[in-house]
Formats: sequence, C-alpha cells, structure tokens
Amino acid sequence: MTTQARPTTVPDADAAKGIGIEGLSKIFSIGRKQVVALDDVHLRTPAGSFLSLLGPSGCGKSTILRIIAGLETPSAGEVLVHGESPKVLRDKHHLGIAFQDAALLPWRSVEANIRLPLEVSGVKVPDSTIPDLIQLVGLDGFEKARPAQLSGGMRQRVAIARALVVEPRVLLLDEPFGALDEMTRRRLNLELLRIWSERVTTTMLVTHSIAEAVFLSDTVAVMSPRPGRVKAIVEIDLPRPRTPEMLRSHEFHAIEDHLSELLFAGEAAASGDDL
Amino acid sequence: MVLDQGLIAAREASVDLTSVGVTEREWRLPTWASSVFGVLMILVLWVVAASALGIRKGIPQPWDVLTQLVEDRDLYPTNVATTLSEAWKGYLIGNVIAIALGMMFILVPFLEKALMQLAVASYCLPIVAVGPILQSTLKGQNPKIALVAMSVFFTTLIGVLVGLRSADRTSLELVRAYGGGRWTELVKVRIRSALPSTFAGLQIAAPAAVLGAIIGEYFGGENGLGIMMIASLQGFKVARTWGIAAVATALAGVGFVATMLIGRSLTRWAPRTAGSGGQL
Repeated sequence: MTTQARPTTVPDADAAKGIGIEGLSKIFSIGRKQVVALDDVHLRTPAGSFLSLLGPSGCGKSTILRIIAGLETPSAGEVLVHGESPKVLRDKHHLGIAFQDAALLPWRSVEANIRLPLEVSGVKVPDSTIPDLIQLVGLDGFEKARPAQLSGGMRQRVAIARALVVEPRVLLLDEPFGALDEMTRRRLNLELLRIWSERVTTTMLVTHSIAEAVFLSDTVAVMSPRPGRVKAIVEIDLPRPRTPEMLRSHEFHAIEDHLSELLFAGEAAASGDDL
Repeated sequence: MVLDQGLIAAREASVDLTSVGVTEREWRLPTWASSVFGVLMILVLWVVAASALGIRKGIPQPWDVLTQLVEDRDLYPTNVATTLSEAWKGYLIGNVIAIALGMMFILVPFLEKALMQLAVASYCLPIVAVGPILQSTLKGQNPKIALVAMSVFFTTLIGVLVGLRSADRTSLELVRAYGGGRWTELVKVRIRSALPSTFAGLQIAAPAAVLGAIIGEYFGGENGLGIMMIASLQGFKVARTWGIAAVATALAGVGFVATMLIGRSLTRWAPRTAGSGGQL
C-alpha cells in the first residue's frame, strides 16, 4: 500500500477551478471477473494549468481521460472540469481531444479532417480558424493532402490542430506522441508548448514519458497500476516559458529522477498489492 | 556530376535487380497474359470436348456457337432488354433494402437482433422453391424482380454490415467526444468506411441479379433470356442454348466489372487489399 494516495497540495479555494476529481473509481467487468481500473482517485488543478498523468500502461491513466471525455462512466466518484460534468462538457463542446492514434479519416484532406469537430458539434468559428491552425501546427502547404500522404508526426499535428479547432476550454491528450520517434516527439512537445501558451487551456496529458511530463506540465500525477491510484502529485516549478535548454538543466534532471523513483517504487508496491 | 554518376549507378543497380527478379520468376506471367492464357485453355478444352463428344452429346464447337450468335443477332436485343430490365430493377430494390436495413441495424441494434434471422432465412430459402410462389402471387415483371431482389439482398446486407462495423474505433470516439450520436457516427465515419466492403457485396450481387432474372423467367413470362433458353432447349437448338449462356455470362461479367470500377473510383482512399479489390 502506498501512503500518499491523496493529493498533498490542494490549491486555495479562491483559485479558479480546473480539473476536479473526487473519489473516482472505475470497475470493469470482464466476463465474471471484475477489474478495478481506478481506485479512489483525487486530483485538483487550477483552471488553465497543464496536468500530466504519468504511469506505466494499465494504471488507468487513459481511463481517467476517457471518463472526462464522456467515453466511459465512473463507477463511483465525481469528475468536474471548470465545475462542469463530462456530459455538460460534451454537450457544450468545451472539449478538445487527441489520441495516440491520430484517427484521421483517410478520405478527408488535412483541412477537412480538422473541420470534423466543427461539423459534429455545430460550433461556428471564423473562416480564418482552420488556415491559422494549419499554420500553427506547421502544415502550411499540406491543406489538401490526404492522411496517407503524411508522416506519423504530421498526422499527429493534424490531430492536435483538430483538437484545437472548437477552441476548447479543456484539452485532453491521450499519449498523442506515444507512437512517434524520440526526435519527432521532442519537436512536437516544443510545438505543443508553444501552442498551449498561446491559448491557455486547462490541459490533461496522459503519458508514459517522464521527460515529456516534466517538460510540459505544471503538475504531474504519478500513478500506480492495479488498482489505478494516484501515488503522488508533483508540482513542476520550472519557470515558464520552458525552453529546450531546460531539458539539460540540473533542476530538470532532478525532477526526472524524483519522478522515476516514485514510478519505480509504485511498481514495486503494486506487485505485492495485487488483486 | 558525382551525383549524376551516383544516380546512373543506382539506376543500373535497380535494372540489375529487376532483371534478376524477372529471371527468378520468369514463369509468372503478367495479369493480363494469365487471363488470356486462361481463356485460351478453356477454348482448347472446349474444342477437345466438342470433338470428342460432339453436338449430339450437347457440346457444340465454339465456332458453331459463334455462327449461331451472329445468326440470332435479331433475337437478342428484346430478350436481353427484358432480362436486364428485370435484373436492374431487382438489383436496385434488393440493394436499397439491404443498405437501408444495414444502416438501421447500426442505428438501432435491437432491430438487428429481431430481423437478422429473417434476413438469414431469406438467404436460405432456395430461389427455385420461391419462384413458383412468386409467379402465382405477383404479376408481370414483378415475380422476376422480386426474385432478383431476394438473390442480391443478403450478400449486400452482409457487405454493408461488415463495412459499417469496420469503422475505426478511435474516429467514432472522437465523434462522440464532440457531442455526436449514432447518427453522426454513421454519417461522418461509418458510411464512408463501409464503401469498400459494400461494393464487394454489390459486386457479387451483380451476377446474382442476372442469374435471378433468368431463373425467374424459367417460371413463365413473355420473353427474356430465360424464356429463350427454355425454348431453344426444347427445340434441341444446342448451339443457340450455348450462345444464350454466353450472352448471359457476358452480362453478368459486365455487371461485375462495372460495379468494381465504380467502387474503386469511389474509394480511392482505401487500400487495395480487401473489399472492392477483386482481381480481374
């Protein structure tokens, strides 16, 4: 058992509410077996902050994101973002989401893929939005290209642009760079940071990359698997704007080491903590 | 210059590679050549069989069939037109019902549980058994059209369902996260994803439609290839019977290829492995 199951830092009540997760549990039934994916998860972040869920695969971090996105229903507990439930977030189109799989529709051009959330949600945005986004993610000249003509990194850029097109208040990123090579990943991290700082959005990133979590986040929630629990919450006090040089700084490495210690301890604890 | 030389070297190397490739599988002919080869084989076997057994055993020589076809050139237009009109109408009706039903099954899963067994039953019913019943209950072209509709319905339904279900799961979740429901999923993601597999179904349905129309005509009618065939069988016109069979086969083949080409032009984004692939 871990001792630090609950968050140690609760922002003062006056701070605008960002992500608020209280006692969240999720139990999946697989045949007759019940699997506890999430067990009593508590998380709080202020509005406009960048939260990363860091943990090994199977620790339920994606489940948290999917519950916020309204793709799964919690078994117990409450999830609110900016005081709104997943259903309200979805109905009011306050969400932007990107997955590990870019999930671009192969028959649509880059432009038309980015437009998809607008068509689904009926949200109206100025005509300049899509060209601006294409420029923002560095895909100028590829407006009419089909997904099959793009590299993995480029497809992921389209997915990010698509997540931003409804001008979401909440951005959910489920390992969006997980399938990319290290170099592309680092470059896209930098771009994500730039994009995020241009339009401050309450963001949740699911990742298993420690460096990515440290580099991007205000807060990192370290999770342990089976059952999925928040093991520790670590505030990343590196100054913003973050620069590539910081990746080589002593502070950066210190935080990285701290997080990997927490992760490793989590795995050791989990093996003796099985169902 | 160095670059040019490099390129030339690379080109030569690639030429070498391809020539090696050719020698390695020299026995393998290009697709069109193997098709021609296949047709020639059939013709040779045909001639051998016809020479051995003769027209009295029901096998005419290919050139006899051809001569007969030319002689009968005035007989065909009306009969082909009748059969095609039945086949086409039935094809349209059967496929529209199949496609509509497939989409409804996705929108209202309960319907699938209720109606899929009926659909399977319709496929298991032998057309030969249904024909006389339809012939005695419906009038004019309608029994043939109904028979064609029945014979195309199931393959298309399966093609549509497999296609609609093959839609990428993450794309569907994306639609849901942006507030879309089943209908939006269907319109934005599923229908386009279903095209390759739907066209695979439609492609199989095209020859089935011609066959269904001809079988429908066996149970009675004024004209059509089926009527013509029965008449020529009863008149011991062996060469003509073979000619009619050849024309029917050609119609079915044209339907098959035309559907394939339409399918391909509508699904240029899809990989050419499964679905509307269908090698010629």
